[in-house]
Amino acid sequence: MTNKESLLTPPVTTSHSRSQPSARSRAYLGTLAAIVWKEVRVERHTRRTLSVMLVFSLAAVVVFNFALELELDAARRVSSGLLWIVILLASTLGLNRSLAAEQEARSIDALLIAPVDRSALYLGKVISVLLFVLLLEAILLPLFIAFFNKPYWRPQVILIIILGTIGYIAAGVLVASMSIQTRTRDVLLPVLLLPLSLPAVLSAATAVSAFMGPELPTWSEVQAPIALVIAFDILMLTAGLFTYHYVVEE
Amino acid sequence: MKRNHLNRLTEIFNWSAILMVAVTMLLIFFWAPTERTMGDVQRIFYFHVGAGWVSMVAFLIALVGGVLYLRRPSPLWDTVALASVEIGLAFATMNIASGSIWGRPAWNTWWIWSPRLTSVTVMWLVYVAYFMLRGAIEDEQKRGRFSAVYVIVGFVTVLMTFFSIRFLRDIHPVLIGESSEAAQGLQEFESGLDSARMGITLTVTTLTFSLLYVAWLFNRIRLQRMLDEAERLKMQVIDRLQRST
Repeated sequence: MTNKESLLTPPVTTSHSRSQPSARSRAYLGTLAAIVWKEVRVERHTRRTLSVMLVFSLAAVVVFNFALELELDAARRVSSGLLWIVILLASTLGLNRSLAAEQEARSIDALLIAPVDRSALYLGKVISVLLFVLLLEAILLPLFIAFFNKPYWRPQVILIIILGTIGYIAAGVLVASMSIQTRTRDVLLPVLLLPLSLPAVLSAATAVSAFMGPELPTWSEVQAPIALVIAFDILMLTAGLFTYHYVVEE
Repeated sequence: MKRNHLNRLTEIFNWSAILMVAVTMLLIFFWAPTERTMGDVQRIFYFHVGAGWVSMVAFLIALVGGVLYLRRPSPLWDTVALASVEIGLAFATMNIASGSIWGRPAWNTWWIWSPRLTSVTVMWLVYVAYFMLRGAIEDEQKRGRFSAVYVIVGFVTVLMTFFSIRFLRDIHPVLIGESSEAAQGLQEFESGLDSARMGITLTVTTLTFSLLYVAWLFNRIRLQRMLDEAERLKMQVIDRLQRST
């Protein structure tokens, strides 16, 4: 209902104009914007993704605090790891929810009928899920600053978290699109996605924890993990753009 | 490939692999010199490096099989990818186990969560999950397509494993190529091989393990063909039974 209606409202452009590269790329961006807009509208009406992620993260933060209560210093030392665990598990839930709902409503079939590039569908999905997870992080970070008294407000930290999230979601959308089509769909996603995204997440967590001290680290200290995160982002996005249509098409 | 050719090739590879494994054992245990600081323990190095190297090559071939399958879906490419992941995992397990056994005398611990050891564990997990994915899909074509995509994406962890010690501070030495300045400070011993015999033994071990990979691959393809054939015959029998009743 909302899906169909929202598909029609934004400025939908098809890729008919093959004459000029600029016209084509404008059409591509138009498609992308339409897909992201559709996701945002669905989310605004149903709140199916964000609500689950948010409530889960809050519960997880409380559980961690409870588990580490006796050791406040230890909790502070491992807080950047905790932050990433919460983000990972919450976005796994969000990915499952967002993509499975689309599968159940068969709205993915409607999207596939549209004469648009499959990579635009993939990118649109990545951007929209990314928006939701970034929103979640915007709520989580102040909580972590309050609970653990660590400088999560530093712009470098926020940048690293965004970079790590991009790679995670890029892999997540691709893997979740596969896992929801299998028999054991809800269980399969974390089994596939958690190890796959660990290289990016571990590097990002290392880099974030380097910024947790009272003084800023030197560039050479954080250069390698940040480079690994960026490499992971690029590799995953490229792999997703090229292989997504094999995953969604029959 | 005709079945006769496949059978003969498999046999050739089987026997040459057996012969080469025997030769390699002799080289490792009797011909290679004893290392000065670590003694006989260092002989595990040949297994460790050989298995690690071949596991990565196997995962690379699985990636190639996946790409070829996506370009033109054929059961053969799916089997090549599947077999390569299976064999690669066997070698990766050998690599991790031998590394852990070697770590006990060299680093005085079975396991440290250093970047290299972490990334290799992650790689191992990613390829184990490959079987979970395959097991969850019944439709043959969809299974082939999805596992091809997964094996391509999963290769990122192999790259990360290969490059992690070249970028990050690690207790694990770099064997091929230069390690970064930061990483060098932590190395416990020089990674250069101090004798030509060691180099030759390592090369032969790696070649033998590669041959073992090829032999296993051929056996696996043959096995898959037999499974398919058995499945086809089973269907025939069911069909005939149904018609007769």
